Amino acid sequence: MLITGIKSKPIYTPLSFDASGRYHILLGAGVGANPLLRVLAEMKKTVPQSMIHARVLFKNASAIEATAGNVSESELAFRAVETVELRVFNNVASLLADFHILATGSLMGTRLYVAGPESFIGLAMQIALQFNLNQDEIRAEECGSLARRVFCIHCRAITDEVVTNIVKCACQRWLLVRDHYSRRLAAYMGVMADAEAPGELPEMREVFR
Amino acid sequence: MSAQTITVEITSIAQVTPLIKHFRLKATTGGYLPAFSGGSHIIVVMRGQKRIHRNPYSLLSSPNRLEHYEIAVRRMDESRGGSHFLHDVVKIGDQLEIAHPVNLFGLEKQARKHILIAGGIGITPFLAQLEDLRCGEVPYELHYSVRSHEHAAFLQHLGTREATRVSMYYDNEGATLNFEELLAKQPLGTHVYVCGPAGMITRVIDTARSYGWPNSHVHWEQFNAPPVGDAFDVFLARSKISVHVVPDQSLLECIEAAGVEVPYLCRGGVCGFCHTRVLELDGELLHHDHYLSANERTTGKSIMPCVSRAKAKRLVLDL
Repeated sequence: MLITGIKSKPIYTPLSFDASGRYHILLGAGVGANPLLRVLAEMKKTVPQSMIHARVLFKNASAIEATAGNVSESELAFRAVETVELRVFNNVASLLADFHILATGSLMGTRLYVAGPESFIGLAMQIALQFNLNQDEIRAEECGSLARRVFCIHCRAITDEVVTNIVKCACQRWLLVRDHYSRRLAAYMGVMADAEAPGELPEMREVFR
Repeated sequence: MSAQTITVEITSIAQVTPLIKHFRLKATTGGYLPAFSGGSHIIVVMRGQKRIHRNPYSLLSSPNRLEHYEIAVRRMDESRGGSHFLHDVVKIGDQLEIAHPVNLFGLEKQARKHILIAGGIGITPFLAQLEDLRCGEVPYELHYSVRSHEHAAFLQHLGTREATRVSMYYDNEGATLNFEELLAKQPLGTHVYVCGPAGMITRVIDTARSYGWPNSHVHWEQFNAPPVGDAFDVFLARSKISVHVVPDQSLLECIEAAGVEVPYLCRGGVCGFCHTRVLELDGELLHHDHYLSANERTTGKSIMPCVSRAKAKRLVLDL
């Protein structure tokens, strides 16, 4: 396709406990609960429970849908962790609003762990950025759907849950989904696909599952 | 020189503490000097009788006022000549050469709070940064530690402009800065900056780390004067010449005196610009910089000639 090797495309790595941190915030969505459980197990021996906060999203019907792993199992496992302050949400907006409040009261020395579908990570990172959390304070593991949030560079609308190489924006333009990512917007850039030759579109394929 | 220099004239000299002199410089060509941001330093080139000194000094004047630059110079007990030259030799109307400002100690633009910690002459970069901070909306505070009242440079200036944001600590009154208290409970997005004696910088770095601060939020600057040491010889492989390094001049200065140019910015072991590859070594490198990692030091393949020396039978550099 049009573009490969774009530097702004985020790179994720498997989550691990960062022992240099003093406080720990864990955010997960769907099967993202599994990596968080792994980190919690690593922390268990050394970090006082009062210094760990977990926010997890389950049963979200629309914006974020896990396609890999078994969500109900991770949900059960997560609810069984009684040692940390845990809040479970059923929609992204409430979870993110709660994270914002949590971050407002948080102190330097905090580490953020995010696990879930890429669009969930992006939205969490967008808030982390507002609090000037840098790369050495954040760890993120992508798991679940690769569906993208796409920003139309022409009308600036955002289309959620895009799984295909081209997508029709609310402005009726067909957008080609690039790998060019904006951390500020938490979205990939979409550019008009048939601007040069109106009506000539690449074949639509499902590429972000 | 590795950068174009600007000729300046000294327009005023003031003794601000028993050890610190304050200089104001203007371009001999008139007009504005190059723009800079708070935290920048310049290299001042001083042509002494015996040799040329090139020392880094932080700009303390306002980045919004470019008709002159201001620096403050502390007289060093074991001056190799630079601070002595500025304290005792130069006078109003004399000309000096300076290199363009370079900032290795800038404020983080995304920060949500700034904590500035100064020890003694370490106040200088912060004076310029405060000019930037005062116009912004991000909260900040300055913690300034000095030996005694008479050693508190620029206090009058700070007192009138920054009264509510400055905390003073006078050693002779037993007032010490409690780093633990200061760094334990700061909001997310806070950055700490420290400039002062080595011990103070180490305390801040260690305390911040113990409270979980990541490296990207901890900033410090300290220009090491090149330490004196035993004489040694070095061979420059590409230039094919031998250079004798005398006790009271740095390796970089001796290489420059031999006519070989080495790129540099800070001349204080901080920026990494003069990083030089060691090709052969029979002996020991005496690292005095803050740039190389512990691992790079032990492998002995690199040296920062602005401050570091050697105790070696044979030393060959890739220059």
